[in-house]
Amino acid sequence: MTNGMKLVLFGAEVLTVLCALIATFHPNVLYGAIALLITFLGVAVMYVFAGADFLAGAQVIVYVGGVTILILFAIMLTQWLYQMKLRDVGTKLLAPILIGAGLFYVLAKALLDINPKFLSDNAEPAQKFLMTPKTALLGEALLGSYLLPFEAITILLLGALVGAVWIARPR
Amino acid sequence: METGFITVFWYFVIAAMVVPLMLGVGWLLRPKAKYVGKEGLAYECGEDPVGSPWIKFNIRFYVIAIVFIIFDVELVAIYPVATMFKSAVLAGNGGLIFAEIFLFVGLLVAGLMYCWVRGDLEWVKGISGPKRKEKVNA
Amino acid sequence: MNQSAAFAHTLQSWTSQLPILSAFPLWAWAAISALGVIFLLALPFGGLATYVERKIAADIQDRIGPNRVGPIGIFQFAADAVKMLAKEDFVPPGGDRFLFNLAPLFVVVGALAAFAALPLGKHLVGADLNIGIFYIISVTTLIAPGLLLGSWGSQNKWSLLGGLRAAAQIVSYEIPVALAILPVILISGTLQVGSIVEQQGWGVGDYHFWNIIHNPFTIISFFLLFIGGLAETNRIPFDLPEAESELVSGFNTEFSGMRFGLYALGEFVDVFVMSAVLTTVYLGGWQLPFFNIDQWVIPLPTGIVALVHFTVFMTKTLLLVFVVMWLRWTLPRLRVDQLMGLCWKGMVPLALINVTGTALWMWIFKGQSLMQLLAKAFGG
Repeated sequence: MTNGMKLVLFGAEVLTVLCALIATFHPNVLYGAIALLITFLGVAVMYVFAGADFLAGAQVIVYVGGVTILILFAIMLTQWLYQMKLRDVGTKLLAPILIGAGLFYVLAKALLDINPKFLSDNAEPAQKFLMTPKTALLGEALLGSYLLPFEAITILLLGALVGAVWIARPR
Repeated sequence: METGFITVFWYFVIAAMVVPLMLGVGWLLRPKAKYVGKEGLAYECGEDPVGSPWIKFNIRFYVIAIVFIIFDVELVAIYPVATMFKSAVLAGNGGLIFAEIFLFVGLLVAGLMYCWVRGDLEWVKGISGPKRKEKVNA
Repeated sequence: MNQSAAFAHTLQSWTSQLPILSAFPLWAWAAISALGVIFLLALPFGGLATYVERKIAADIQDRIGPNRVGPIGIFQFAADAVKMLAKEDFVPPGGDRFLFNLAPLFVVVGALAAFAALPLGKHLVGADLNIGIFYIISVTTLIAPGLLLGSWGSQNKWSLLGGLRAAAQIVSYEIPVALAILPVILISGTLQVGSIVEQQGWGVGDYHFWNIIHNPFTIISFFLLFIGGLAETNRIPFDLPEAESELVSGFNTEFSGMRFGLYALGEFVDVFVMSAVLTTVYLGGWQLPFFNIDQWVIPLPTGIVALVHFTVFMTKTLLLVFVVMWLRWTLPRLRVDQLMGLCWKGMVPLALINVTGTALWMWIFKGQSLMQLLAKAFGG
């Protein structure tokens, strides 16, 4: 990685964390949603740097194009949320921090278990891994060792669809 | 990461600069006027606006967004599998992936049929589903 | 089959003999190619398209159309640009200034960034990403939140209704669009745009000619993608978000001057992107019909090949843009329930049938296209 690329990655990281903080603490929930949108984009940039280009595209399609729209619709449907100032800081800070730290530990542990050299910069195999296209590999994995989870996800999504429209249907 | 993303980065940077550039040139050229009289009001064909501009709207929009996300996630899951299809067919074992795609399409159709039959895809029939039989004024 | 190359690489190899330019690193050429495509192709297209659209409208309605500025009014777009720049800047005082300013950024970036992966020619792909076509689908999704936020910030009922309609319409039609591209992924076995176009060449071997006549299902898919593209770009008959007879001007009601200009630019550039995607995945991209310039007896220099490729690609794309403009004066607007019905009850089931049908065809005929089968049957 060149210095310029490192700079871009660093910028994206700072932006992501900053927008995540805005999304958490901004009193206007609509602005929080916009900050969340930029956080999603920042995560997509990080996927690109991790060599997961397909995942980056999927992140933008599903989260920016789908989830953000859903959140915006939800906020706009309950329009009093826009005028309201929400403050929820202080009292409920401990639990999120604990959950966040726990999640960070699990992810970091998993990452280092897979590749202990992850933290060493410019390791040769890592560089090679980053340059290979992974969409076909992903497809292979989904049809090979992860066939059952893949099918389970499809059925889960079907269940989610039925449940979601059932809840949204007024009775 | 691919080298192509360097180009993508530049596209994003330059595209993002187009907006401030054009508005900036306009800022230099145009008169700096204050809004006169009712100019600042929302445009409603000459009438003074009544009530909040942030109106209530149909919950259908929300349902559509939910249905969209589910379909979107399934699509994203099927794209990598689809890229595998050609090489599998040429290697002579296209059957597995074909079954896979068929299953995927079948489940999507099942979900779609459910929403269709229960009236979730109707836009104007009223939100209580297919049982209501009022006249529709579209 | 030789690989397609990124624009930046091509520029670097062309200038490798020149004194100062040869010292430029690759990232500089990437920036220059991006600058060139955006300022010499995308923005002039957006400007000229406004003029051409008015001229086509005039021709169809037996009028003259713009004819004052320059010969046959050709500089009308420049006059319009100056007018837009010089207009008073209006931001609704009761609205949300931040959102109002943010919206055009999303729309313009979403439309222009898609140019990075358009295969303008074999040596002219901005960024030949492995996820090429997927990248284009994903960046154009940035437009929907932009329109929604801009309409919310406008402090106007019509704007909000238009923005909501735009967002719902764009997300709904993304499903048939993605499903209509899926048959091509099945056929090509890759998401890389350069490779998708390369396989659509004319010749023996792995070339299977244009995807539109690969099999009977892809013909339907082509039209599904075209209709879905019209809806994604809010063009007639799907211009409900801007329906002037019910919503004044829809999501851009409060946008005036250059702000409106940016919205219009985003829309026209999006039409170009959608036509270019259609050209790439179904109409053979830069490939000439019945002739493969890469397999000619005399190997041509890359400059000439690039020029031919670019001309062919632009001809196909602009022809589709013309059809889009033509449709505007042919079809009436859909109702909102018809719009959603068409998407979920018409196009999505049909697209799913096409995906299954194409997969079945590939499986039965071992991935051969109609043309390849015909060639085999007649020994040609």
